[in-house]
Amino acid sequence: MTLNNSHLRSEDVNVWFGERHVLKNVSLEFPSNQVTALIGPSGCGKSTFIRTLNRMHELIPSAGFGGKVLLDGEDIYGEGVDPVKVRLKVGMVFQKPNPFPTMTIKENVLSGLKLSGRKSDNASELVETSLRRASIWNEVKDRLNDPAISLSGGQQQRLCIARSLAMDPEVLLMDEPCSALDPGSTRRIEETILELAPQMTIVIVTHNMQQAQRVADQTAFFLAEDGNPGHVVEFGRTEQVFEQPIDPRTNDYVNGHFG
Amino acid sequence: MEKVIDLTPVQRPKGNESAPWAKIELKTRAAVVLASVVPGAIALAIFFATGIDFMAMLFAIFMPIQVVAAALVGILVYGRRGILEGLLVVVTIFFASFIVVLLFSVLWSVIDNGSRAISWQFISQNNYYIKPNTSLDYGGVGHAIIGSLLIVGTSTIITVPMGLATAVYLTETQGKTKGIIRTLLQAMSGLPSVVSGLFIYAAFIASGITSYAGWTGSLALIPLMLPTVARVSEEALRLVPQELRNGALALGAPVWRAFMMVTLPAARSGMVTAVLLGIARVIGETAPLVLTTFAADRTNLNLFGGAMASLPTYLFGFISMGFEESLQRAWGAALVIMILVAILFTTARLASRTRSQVRK
Amino acid sequence: MTLNVDRPVPERRKLAAKPFSKADRVFFGVARAAAFSAIVIVSLILVFLVSRSASTFAEQGIIDFIFGSTWDASLSPIKMQLWPMLWGSILISLIGTALAVPMAISIAYFIEFMAPKRVAKVATLIVDLMAAIPSIVLGLWGAFVFTDVAAGWSKQLNALFGWIPIFENNSDNFLRSPFIAGLVVTVMIVPIIASITREIFSQMDRDIINASLALGGNRESTLRKVILPTAGGGVVGGVLLGLGRALGETVAILYVLNLVFDTNWYQILESKGGSIASMIISKFGEAGPEEVGGLMAAGVVLFVFTLIINALASYIVAKAQPWRK
Repeated sequence: MTLNNSHLRSEDVNVWFGERHVLKNVSLEFPSNQVTALIGPSGCGKSTFIRTLNRMHELIPSAGFGGKVLLDGEDIYGEGVDPVKVRLKVGMVFQKPNPFPTMTIKENVLSGLKLSGRKSDNASELVETSLRRASIWNEVKDRLNDPAISLSGGQQQRLCIARSLAMDPEVLLMDEPCSALDPGSTRRIEETILELAPQMTIVIVTHNMQQAQRVADQTAFFLAEDGNPGHVVEFGRTEQVFEQPIDPRTNDYVNGHFG
Repeated sequence: MEKVIDLTPVQRPKGNESAPWAKIELKTRAAVVLASVVPGAIALAIFFATGIDFMAMLFAIFMPIQVVAAALVGILVYGRRGILEGLLVVVTIFFASFIVVLLFSVLWSVIDNGSRAISWQFISQNNYYIKPNTSLDYGGVGHAIIGSLLIVGTSTIITVPMGLATAVYLTETQGKTKGIIRTLLQAMSGLPSVVSGLFIYAAFIASGITSYAGWTGSLALIPLMLPTVARVSEEALRLVPQELRNGALALGAPVWRAFMMVTLPAARSGMVTAVLLGIARVIGETAPLVLTTFAADRTNLNLFGGAMASLPTYLFGFISMGFEESLQRAWGAALVIMILVAILFTTARLASRTRSQVRK
Repeated sequence: MTLNVDRPVPERRKLAAKPFSKADRVFFGVARAAAFSAIVIVSLILVFLVSRSASTFAEQGIIDFIFGSTWDASLSPIKMQLWPMLWGSILISLIGTALAVPMAISIAYFIEFMAPKRVAKVATLIVDLMAAIPSIVLGLWGAFVFTDVAAGWSKQLNALFGWIPIFENNSDNFLRSPFIAGLVVTVMIVPIIASITREIFSQMDRDIINASLALGGNRESTLRKVILPTAGGGVVGGVLLGLGRALGETVAILYVLNLVFDTNWYQILESKGGSIASMIISKFGEAGPEEVGGLMAAGVVLFVFTLIINALASYIVAKAQPWRK
């Protein structure tokens, strides 16, 4: 794995909540056009870490941060960097689908533009492209003006993905996007991820190890032992992490011995 | 080969073994019914038979019997510790009914007495030539209604943005002074209304800046209205799930856009409720207006030009004049105020109901 | 890719959770300004009132002003002392609150835990509407509808329990007494306390109540051991809020109370009492500038009193509900 090609990289990322040190020295590479999965037991800091990648972490009161996150070589935590601008390049999909309830499907897809104060040259084209990329176009093309909350859970999540895609992000962060969904919707979304991967960098937090094996090129295994801050135990190509893990703790986790 | 599925129901055991709890239910239910009805019947019988004073009957005869009956039912169901149970039920219902009766008495007397004064002419005319004992065919509260609308309207225009912005500060930011602000709002909500009137009087009228005027009344109402508007707005904003805000921010929105385009629309009905409740809170306030706007006989549309009538000060003026007609006018004004309050309240309720229907 | 995390931890950075863009700075600035206006308003009130009444406090002497019993505007120099009114306010508020609390909690309990859903909804609506009845409407009702009824009750109380000092009455005049005023105050503040209590009850975790019932508790023991301890703090806060409101009641009791500058300590059925708020509004019309200064001073005393009570209420509620930040 070469170091120079990396699109997104974290260097010694540390996270505190108040005085509590919850993440220690997380250094990971997220190569362009590949999917990286973050796995590990509950409470080990995966979701916290992913929020440092688009500067959502600092919205939590008492949040503390140390280290660097480099996007195309530039530290997004540098002086004079506007966190809002960072989020234009690094999109996020959350665990629970959160379409805006006061907007229609079409308005939701375009909401990112509205919220960042940009105008779109060709709104309907953007709407169709985004919904196609999220694999939901066929289901909603005839009801774009229906309220977004009239969709099912899986559809809402794909709508949220479309909404993020409409911003044309370089990186897409996904925090357990399927854990609130049924297996059918989960499969659809995993297919979507695989289709999107060649176009952007994707980082996905997941509890589901089979999912990691299905979609991810790389996998990082997080662990927080006994009151110590969470950290990365092992990081490598997915096949290697799951089939020939180096660290015995990785071995225990992927073979279901705990977590 | 077709499989035959036997659909005949399984025989349920009959007699004492089936549903053993059902039998006790019946016993309990009978006892409760008896205990609810019999004491009242006995008390009423004694009341009619002996002509004893109603309140005395209520407390000296009905209550004790009812309490004993309830205690007996309690013992029946729960054993000895059930006595308190029965007492609790009786006490609760008694106290609740007592106060409900009083409150209904208020409503009823306003409606009953006020409706005799209400007429189209009452609502539209003013009081220019009306003496305290003029018959109710002349004059009315028209000027007072207009005055109230102007004064309260002005207060609303000033208070609502303030209250909303304060609510935004309390929910959307991470300032360190949030606790202090909340405490102060709480303190403000305890401000006696007469003190608010005194404050404005001291600041503007006693100091010579102006004499009685409508706008001073509006100012005096602001500290009374602000805590309500701020509190209800804050509640409405809190109810908007954080995930919506996160979703907007994750798309690259600056906080103010996330608020205006996502949070605020989602809290819209709560905001409406906040405004309406704020108005309802001050529309009947008397003391602050007596001290600042004084009162007037005729319509004054100029907030800056002298005394202005309002519904509460109208009532205040007529309540102690001593004539039958004046009193009727007072009741009429009271009814008008209550109608306005009821309209505001119902609208606020309807607004909050649409909110709960938006969520799936 | 080294995974050894025992490298030194980099320094903790200051995060720019502060607004960055100009528009955001404006947004937060406006919000903060509006919130600070609350501070401004309360301070202004205190400043103006205190400055206008400073001379009164100076001339009458603060202790004498608060604890003395004579108010005579015809004397020269004018003599103004507040205690009969201050104590009267306290007495009436205590009566009102003492009577209001059981009724309010009963209503709240009934709505939340006894009534079927639809009845509860209607009842909630009614209670909230009652809370909006303006005090002057209550004053009207109190003066012309309720007074005779309440005087009748007072007579009965005196007849049966007159041997207890509180219920003594030596003048045979039962009208316009602290008791009647207290009752009107009760009607005023029950909806307020009931609303708050009902809200607290409804936000209680139903699971702990179910747990109590599942362990064999009945209605009463659940109330005593589970509901009251959990909701207690918030309810006390609500009661104190009602008390604060009662202290400031002006026109509701103006017509059912005989303001007398002779402290009525405990004879609540007698036709004499006091209330700072009612005194202010009743004397205001004919007061000369000096007397107005005294009324302002009285207002200051009242406001400070209610501030203390409200601070207490906030503190108790915050302590009892630490999850609300």
